[in-house]
Amino acid sequence: MSDVAPPPEPKPASDPDALPSMAARLDLYQRAGGVITPVLTALFAFFVGGLVVLFTTGKNPIDTYKAIFNGTGLNWFFPWVHGQERFTAALNLQQTLIITTTLVLVGLAVAFAFRCGLFNIGGQGQYIAGMIAASQVGVAMPDLPHVPHIILAAGAGALAGALWAGIAGILKATVGAHEVISTIMLNWTALWIGSYLVGFAGPLQDPAQESVPVTEQISEGAKLNVFWGDPILQGLHIGFFVAIGCLILFWIVLNRTTLGFEVRAVGFNPEAARYSGISVGRNYFLAMAISGAFAGLAGGVDLLGWLFRVDLTSVQVSSQVAFIGIAVALLGRNTAVGIFFSALLFGALLNGTSTRNLDPTIFAPELASNLTLIIQGLVVLFVGADLLILYLWRARLKLRRKRPEAVKGL
Amino acid sequence: MAERDRPILELRGITKSFPGVLANDHVDFDLRRGEVHALLGENGAGKSTLMNILYGLYHPDEGEIRINGEPIRISSPKAAIESGIGMVHQHFMLIPVMTVAENIVLAEEPRTAGIFVDYDAAIRRVRDLAATFNFAIDPDAKVERITVGQQQRVEILKALYRGADILILDEPTAVLTPQEADELFAILRTLQREGMSIIFISHKLREVLEIAERVTVLRRGKKIDTVPREGATPQGLASLMVGREVLLRVEKPPVDAGDILLRVENLQVLDDRDLEAVRGVSLDVRAREIVALAGVDGNGQSELIDALSGLRKTSGGTIQIAGRDVTASNAHSRYDSGLGHIPEDRQRRGLVLEFTLAENLTLHDFDKQPFSRFGWLRPGRVVAWARSLLKEFDVRGGGPRTRAGALSGGNQQKVVVAREVARDPRVLIAAQPTRGLDVGAIEFVHRRLVEERDEGRAVLLVSLELEEVLSLADRILVLYEGQIVAEYGPDVTEEELGIAMTGGRIEEVAS
Amino acid sequence: MRVESILQRAAHPRIEPGLALGIASILLGLIAFWVALPPLTTRTAAAPIAIGLAGLGAGLWSWRHGYTRLGWSGVCIAIIGLLGGLLATNAAVGNLEVVITWSALFAATLRFATPLTFAAIGGLFSERSGVVNIGLEGMMLMGAFFGVYGADKTGSWVLGMLIGMLAGAALALVHAAFSIHLRSDQIVSGTAINFLALGITGYVYIDTYGNEGTPGDLPQVPDVHLDWLGSIPPEGLGSFLERTFGQLNLLVWLALATVVLAWIIVFKTAVGLRIRAVGEHPRAADTVGISVYATRYAAVVVSGALAAMGGVYLSLGFVHSFTENMTAGRGFIALAALIFGKWHPFGALGAALLFGFASAVAPRLENVEGWATYGTLFQALPYVLTLIAVAGVIGRSIPPAAIGRPYEKQ
Repeated sequence: MSDVAPPPEPKPASDPDALPSMAARLDLYQRAGGVITPVLTALFAFFVGGLVVLFTTGKNPIDTYKAIFNGTGLNWFFPWVHGQERFTAALNLQQTLIITTTLVLVGLAVAFAFRCGLFNIGGQGQYIAGMIAASQVGVAMPDLPHVPHIILAAGAGALAGALWAGIAGILKATVGAHEVISTIMLNWTALWIGSYLVGFAGPLQDPAQESVPVTEQISEGAKLNVFWGDPILQGLHIGFFVAIGCLILFWIVLNRTTLGFEVRAVGFNPEAARYSGISVGRNYFLAMAISGAFAGLAGGVDLLGWLFRVDLTSVQVSSQVAFIGIAVALLGRNTAVGIFFSALLFGALLNGTSTRNLDPTIFAPELASNLTLIIQGLVVLFVGADLLILYLWRARLKLRRKRPEAVKGL
Repeated sequence: MAERDRPILELRGITKSFPGVLANDHVDFDLRRGEVHALLGENGAGKSTLMNILYGLYHPDEGEIRINGEPIRISSPKAAIESGIGMVHQHFMLIPVMTVAENIVLAEEPRTAGIFVDYDAAIRRVRDLAATFNFAIDPDAKVERITVGQQQRVEILKALYRGADILILDEPTAVLTPQEADELFAILRTLQREGMSIIFISHKLREVLEIAERVTVLRRGKKIDTVPREGATPQGLASLMVGREVLLRVEKPPVDAGDILLRVENLQVLDDRDLEAVRGVSLDVRAREIVALAGVDGNGQSELIDALSGLRKTSGGTIQIAGRDVTASNAHSRYDSGLGHIPEDRQRRGLVLEFTLAENLTLHDFDKQPFSRFGWLRPGRVVAWARSLLKEFDVRGGGPRTRAGALSGGNQQKVVVAREVARDPRVLIAAQPTRGLDVGAIEFVHRRLVEERDEGRAVLLVSLELEEVLSLADRILVLYEGQIVAEYGPDVTEEELGIAMTGGRIEEVAS
Repeated sequence: MRVESILQRAAHPRIEPGLALGIASILLGLIAFWVALPPLTTRTAAAPIAIGLAGLGAGLWSWRHGYTRLGWSGVCIAIIGLLGGLLATNAAVGNLEVVITWSALFAATLRFATPLTFAAIGGLFSERSGVVNIGLEGMMLMGAFFGVYGADKTGSWVLGMLIGMLAGAALALVHAAFSIHLRSDQIVSGTAINFLALGITGYVYIDTYGNEGTPGDLPQVPDVHLDWLGSIPPEGLGSFLERTFGQLNLLVWLALATVVLAWIIVFKTAVGLRIRAVGEHPRAADTVGISVYATRYAAVVVSGALAAMGGVYLSLGFVHSFTENMTAGRGFIALAALIFGKWHPFGALGAALLFGFASAVAPRLENVEGWATYGTLFQALPYVLTLIAVAGVIGRSIPPAAIGRPYEKQ
């Protein structure tokens, strides 16, 4: 036999005009860049962010980032931090981890869909659905014992998110409607339906508070326990473990179940999956539904953990956290471990730039939150660049191999 | 040197490498004025790369190109066109939704007021050009609606419109019937008489000997030799191409056919545009026989295979596998009913390149025991089974945990074949199983198909390569416009087959 | 020469009966609804029923002639028109008149459709050249902010407009570089620039205008007064035309002009032919010497400038101010309009008018007595309508063949 290996370039498909799916691309980036490229991407994004700070406000970006860092609470991990500083760091870290919890879940939502080759931008709508569903279950049945109440409420949140995303999934599976547009439309629809429900004279408005557009508060029995810190000061609740659990679940489903096998096959090559007898439409629907469940769970966990009730702000503003899930998933290369660390990164960034933590004399918090958006945008932008990765891959290969010999004519 | 013998084109020492591959290794080539010169070689020998360099799509690492004795740098297709070089690519560079005229004048459109396209002038010019060379073509027709042979003529007209003196044709007969190929040759001879110099790239030995005056053979990026037509034989050329004695036909002892394992009755299938693609096809394939379905691409083969494997709904007729009616069942259950399918495009349809070999080998059965239980995968079993399969089929380039994308084409095809065959199917459908493979891999696939036949399976081979069909088949069915129009034994001639493939009509040459 | 070919084509009309019936059924469905509305306000149920049934029949007949999708959409519209007409006959005439003052409604439709039109035409150029442009939203936002910023700083609305367009074009250049040269996934890159636009506009907005918001005395794009419309006989028509078209903003007319210009460029000029070639089969275009990269870059930059125009109208021409994220998903609706309009300028205009109509009707529904509390809910109307459109009720559109695929020059 005269078979020889082709050029060692990790191409997702041999046809130069073929369209690699996001799943295939990110798999490629992972193999090509390992851990290095995401770190480089993040560093570069921060660097550019620093330049923005420097040129627009004239302030020293190092000081700005340091101020942000102090707000994150990550300094709690440094053994040399003591006393009052350590106490403040602990408080900050709790807040960071609360946000990380949410980001892990919305990141998982986006990542799971990506694994099936789908782009779920609908996290916001699914989050809203989950939030509202969980609040209603949390308000009803006030005599239900603690554990079942939490499980039911969180489950309702996940289910609501799954159903909301399922709409886009069905449309994709049956008529091939592009999920990007349909999920974005569903986002806005959920936002307005949600605003209506909790708004003035809305059906879910708290009857005891006629002049405030807000739902009833959930019963004490439905609130998630705080396991670190003071409940009055909103310490870290057990939702954190739910997030960790979901990370593990994500890995298990994708790598150890037949459902995950199908989802991955469809994500990498829907044509081959179809030829093999796998139902592509069914997997599109299931992937969107599971993805939506994660996002809905995020809304539910946030509600049960610290929101406790839904108001216009949470429907219209807090739900935007779901968009960060995109950056989290992409930076984390759609893997469980990656998502955890990138969620931590963005959680820290969000907490560090919040009005509570950032000293306005060093940098205005409203500006800082927009800076965060810019950094997010840069992260997503750089993750999408094939050639940069390929150049790095080739450079890595040249270090390992010798001069290529003539192996096979083209 | 006589006028006619002075080369119009010379390539000296052309070298081009891609990462890990030396595609052209100091290749010399020259083209005389008014000659037809063939470039022969296997897949991967470097023919297309050389011509793409000539057409400005690649830049050579070393070497020189001279046109009429003048050295020239061809930096882009535009430069090549300006130097009088025209190319008819193997995969047509035509825009299906645009008309013939639009395709031909693209980038050199006749204008009104400098910015508007003068469509009437375009149509006129195309008509005039076609008349000069005696083609019949409708300038207003959309390219997606004309035949493949006509599309090729449009490609040639494109080159003529831009004033080409040198015409390169890359595997032009790959998609034509023997009759259409004859028409093409007649056109080429007309062009030759008008002073055109032609480079004809092919891997088909007989054709090359028919049309070319000289043949240059490439192997593994190197030029091996340039031989004149006189005295050259297919056998001789084949050995030059491959470097060793090549068996052009596979050893195939005759066997007795057994029971009918695949029975198709009056099958009707619609294509993606809801037009009839398969119009009442009936066929039987028995155990221990290879039935080949011959025909030009686009006569319903793809739709027929899709319907047989359960990927496309039928609009009439029945399909039975080993006596069981499977017409209504989906692909997954057909695989369970004893169907094996080696699909046409191994990288797009046969394999998930990002999956490991083990995962690819279980692509049909991952949801069954012993590979999984109640939805839970058992990687240990998968890997072990994969390892034994890979050994049995002598797959090289990696183990069960290697990504399929890292293997060569031939090894990838072995993985696909292994997967299908190891499931012990009753019926095996092989669609274009040797496309894009080198001679060694082709030999393997052919031998394996015969082995499977001898094991008692019913093999349905669908192929566009007449040589392959004639070599392997016990019975040959010809598919034309969605119907079986003829049945032959293995001793039919290519001419007869070709006539049947065009519906039995003998068309006029170059009308 | 030209006249000859026109006459030739007229002699062989290509309208087949099935097609005519399909169109007729859609029209009949619409008329069935319309007869019950002002100014006719027919009260008898017989009218909409009869007309609706006629439409239904035409639709079914069209279906039987082979026009499946057209026929079924005709049937659907006929049924909706019939039911709508029935409901309207029962509604109080007063309420109907509150909602439906046709002239005001049409004028509002044109105004709401203008940003969509600009962005959709921008998207047309980009997508016809083969580059998906999910970033229309971000480019629009850039135009919205920098239009205001520019007008404020220079004191001239013309310069403000140009600066806005420049900002959109600059952002588009980033999208182009990443999608074309670096071969990113175009949807991911588009999403990234949406984040970037949000962050950049928010950042500069707060930095420049802080908490007070944009100044109230911004230079305004003038309206075009067509008072002479009122003197067109008959009297009713004249006043109707004057009320509808008489006071529209300059940019509204510019948008309509852009549609016509786009049609001419794309289908009648050599430049347009080349753009389409690049979008359908870039390799074929390359082999005849067209520069695929240059064409795509130009098309994407133009799309940025046009989308920004849409934003400029929104801020400078409509509400005369800027608020963060004021585009509110309109960029995506514009993309949906493009797809709905089958990548054809007039189709996109039609779709934009449809979505504009939904936005125009929504606030009016609030004025109906008893429906005021549902006000927030109606805000979702344009998004739901877009969702239905994207779901392919009117048939799946076929995009340019090579869309979304990065082109690899070897």
